[in-house]
Amino acid sequence: YRLAGTYPGMASGMQEKQYTPSLLSFFIYNPTFGPREGEEEKKILFYHPSDVEKNEKIRNVGLCEAIVQFTRTFCPTKPAKSLHTQKNRQFFFEPENNFWVVMVVRNPMIEKLNKDGKTQTIEYQEEEMLDTVYGAVVRQCYSMYKLFNGTFARAMEAGGVELLMQKLEKFFYKYLQTLHLQSSDLLDVFGGISFFPLDKMTYLKIQSFVNRVEESLSLIKYTAFLYNDQLIWSGLEQDDMRILYKYLTTSLFPRHTEPELAGRDSPLRPEVTGNLLHYGRFLTGPLNLKDPEAKFRFPKIFVSAEDGYEELHLIVYKAMSAAACFMISASVELNRDFCEQLDSLVGPQLTLLASDICEQFTVNRRISGPEKEPQFKFIYFNHMNLAEKSTIHMRKTASVCLTSVHPDLMKILGDINCDFARVDEDEEIIVKAMTDYWVVGKKSDQRELYVILNQKNANLIEVNEEVKRLCATQFNNIFFLD
Amino acid sequence: MDGEAQNESVACEKATLAPVDRLRSNRAESPTPGLVEGTEPGAVQKSAFFAHAQSFEDLTAEAEEKAEQEGVVEDSGQTEDELQVLVGERTITEQHAQDVSPQSRSKEEDMSSEAWRSHRKHVFVLSEAGKPIYTRYGSEEALSSTMGVMMALVSFVESDKNTIRSIHADGCKVIFLAKSPLVLVGVSQTYQSDKELLRELQYIYYQIVSLLTLTQLNHIFQNKQNYDLRRLLAGSEYLTDNLLHRLDRDPGLLLSAVTCLPLSNSVRDVVSSSLQAAKAKNLVFSILLAGDRLVTLVRKKDQFLHHIDLHLVMNLVGSSSSFREGEGWTPICLPKFNTAGFFHAHISYLESASDLCLILVSTDREDFFNMSDCKQRFLERLTKRTAYQALKEALKCPSYSVEQVGIPELRHFLYKSKSSGLYTSPEFPELYQSDEEQERLMGLYQDLHSHLHHPVRPLRFFYRCTNKENLLAWVTNGFQLYLCFSPLGTKAMAVSAVNKLLKWIRKEEDRLFILSPLTY
Repeated sequence: YRLAGTYPGMASGMQEKQYTPSLLSFFIYNPTFGPREGEEEKKILFYHPSDVEKNEKIRNVGLCEAIVQFTRTFCPTKPAKSLHTQKNRQFFFEPENNFWVVMVVRNPMIEKLNKDGKTQTIEYQEEEMLDTVYGAVVRQCYSMYKLFNGTFARAMEAGGVELLMQKLEKFFYKYLQTLHLQSSDLLDVFGGISFFPLDKMTYLKIQSFVNRVEESLSLIKYTAFLYNDQLIWSGLEQDDMRILYKYLTTSLFPRHTEPELAGRDSPLRPEVTGNLLHYGRFLTGPLNLKDPEAKFRFPKIFVSAEDGYEELHLIVYKAMSAAACFMISASVELNRDFCEQLDSLVGPQLTLLASDICEQFTVNRRISGPEKEPQFKFIYFNHMNLAEKSTIHMRKTASVCLTSVHPDLMKILGDINCDFARVDEDEEIIVKAMTDYWVVGKKSDQRELYVILNQKNANLIEVNEEVKRLCATQFNNIFFLD
Repeated sequence: MDGEAQNESVACEKATLAPVDRLRSNRAESPTPGLVEGTEPGAVQKSAFFAHAQSFEDLTAEAEEKAEQEGVVEDSGQTEDELQVLVGERTITEQHAQDVSPQSRSKEEDMSSEAWRSHRKHVFVLSEAGKPIYTRYGSEEALSSTMGVMMALVSFVESDKNTIRSIHADGCKVIFLAKSPLVLVGVSQTYQSDKELLRELQYIYYQIVSLLTLTQLNHIFQNKQNYDLRRLLAGSEYLTDNLLHRLDRDPGLLLSAVTCLPLSNSVRDVVSSSLQAAKAKNLVFSILLAGDRLVTLVRKKDQFLHHIDLHLVMNLVGSSSSFREGEGWTPICLPKFNTAGFFHAHISYLESASDLCLILVSTDREDFFNMSDCKQRFLERLTKRTAYQALKEALKCPSYSVEQVGIPELRHFLYKSKSSGLYTSPEFPELYQSDEEQERLMGLYQDLHSHLHHPVRPLRFFYRCTNKENLLAWVTNGFQLYLCFSPLGTKAMAVSAVNKLLKWIRKEEDRLFILSPLTY
């Protein structure tokens, strides 16, 4: 599986060059801000890349406006979501009234050397991208902005267009660099949360830990607990947790790999703090409590509340593979005292919990026997609790998403998912790809399961039996339409 | 009989590279596994009469040059005067046809109304100057500004050396097809894929070309970019209306195939050879239809009729009752054969109250009397034989019910033999009698078809369980098969049904397909 960028074609020597989908532009506009001719530039609140000429920006925004307006002729209630052209696809999203977020992605393409050996021909692969996947990426961009800045309307109220533009610039300038469009797939559509499987006893331990901390440090409004990048406990609303989870697992955690795992001389290995009782440390806020210069500033996040949204400090504290997020109202000023108190209270307990969970985890592994390459791989998603499980994705980090199956198979899963999304009824789809892989999709009562089977000579009946077995062992309490 | 175990391996058919053997004696009773093209049920014995049409790849392929080289068709470098004559000639046939305009054309509909918007599928044709040429619903005049916007979008994207393809909203998509000098736009609320919708727009494009030839179209717009093409097409809109109706309903247009009138092999052979005997110098194709079903087709050696061209001919014949009143003589361009010139078709029914319609396609515009003579010779020959009575008898049951196949859970199916370009399908069962249900079933087939023929991720096999029905689709080198089952059926049942059905088709192939097409 190719990672990113380009690679020379294998089959035809060095004659072909393959380009994966890439971000051409990303802009945000509000058509009501420059309604008069000659004022069109005022509509544009953010434009990436910023060095595009003014008239070009106005032209491109104009096209989006025209597409949106034109589509209303036929479906006044359903806004345009994407525009397909030979060279690129544009994705439209109106997250707040009259605010449009647009992402333009170049189609993947193959550059072929012509027979003359000098000139090149470019072939655009127009059917490679799935609208659902990139539509989800745009929505994710907005959700991430909103998590750290609140709504566009909030910035408008606080400081008008100028403040909004500043905030957009500051946020998206960095964020867009972290988009990895070539590895976006069905998991982006789900935007799910991977839960850590745990026995009851350990789960109760974690729950009582959360209760104890919240009791002792009454400033804490919400807590979330993760182990191994998987969620165990969350006091937040689902949609807030979903985007926070995305931030933690694809951005924050990968930037702070385990110091225990880093080499002795690695710059990642922090100063030995002198506290050998626990491994706890802040991933946000002060890097080293002992440092007299340490700053006690935490990132602010916005989550939904009864009256709109509330602003919170986000404290992420980690010991070994266990991470606890504590959220405290932004109106409170956090200082050294509080952080030291938290560190001394949470550090030892979290370290202990982490090793408990780890032990439990290894025991379970041993029981389930040695890891054998199974005949199948699957993705499971539950729309009700956002639970997601994939044995296809080996690792999802900020930069790459490694999948263990051919990208075409991933896209077939995406195609089946689109079929499921059309109607609200239970369904099952079984297909055989040209490569003879079998792919099974099942939708039942808000749950979706996708299985890829490597038994090329199996027939429909055998495939059905195999999937039944899988459901029985992995999802023994879930009913799937037979 | 093959062992049951082998039969159940339907879904893992292994295509072999065995040489294509078309001898009848080699036709296995059950065609799977190891089936190669040309041995599937319904495969032709000699050579197919269709230009070899895969499915719809060749819709876009420029086959025109080849046809031009063959040079059978007169060139239509008409001057303006000739053009008028042609159009005059044309509108006569069309005036007759006015009476059968399909479902009252809702031309007066207000385009801001909910009713106008909620049509499942809109189709617009405009010139590159943005002038309206055709709309399926509403009036072209009222839509001129909307069509202007469409053209603006097309040229805006074009100015970036790019091409607009489609716009997507939830449950609605807009598809653009620029076919200079025309632009076609489809707006659909169906689940059809872009590719399927594009194919339908191509059909509409060819429909217009078949009336005027591409050479004339280009000529007109080169002379006057602003030309109002409706002046030339006036009175022919019903053909496009009807074609769109067919596209929603007719599996043949989906499968790029034609279906035959079930007829015993010996009778069909007599009819074919009678038609073969009635030849003339400029006669290229003789087509005998029973309604929308093919009875037989005889062609000049080395000349092939593309299925799209045949569908356009069928649409022309099926759309007008005027041909019942006597012998029709009409110019027709067969765009997949040659977009540059007209053929001339002699169209008449064998008997006034009969469904049997004979189409004789000639290259010579002065050939009316020769063609009329051909028809007489054919009729004289045929009426002397008992086969004619058998043919008329067969007209009484032009289709069959799915019960005849003897698979209780099977509700309906489509089977296409790839090498012959012919398909067979039973009549719609009781459950799918209403217009909505028929279109829904067609929608399900379209869906299966677009999955199997995905432009970059084609599939071999597709099985889908829903609350309303279970569907199975399977494509091999030799055939395409689409089945609709009751939702209560199991997968094991579906697998055995496929085997049973293929055996049944093999048994009936003499009746359901044309196995030995003839040439002059």
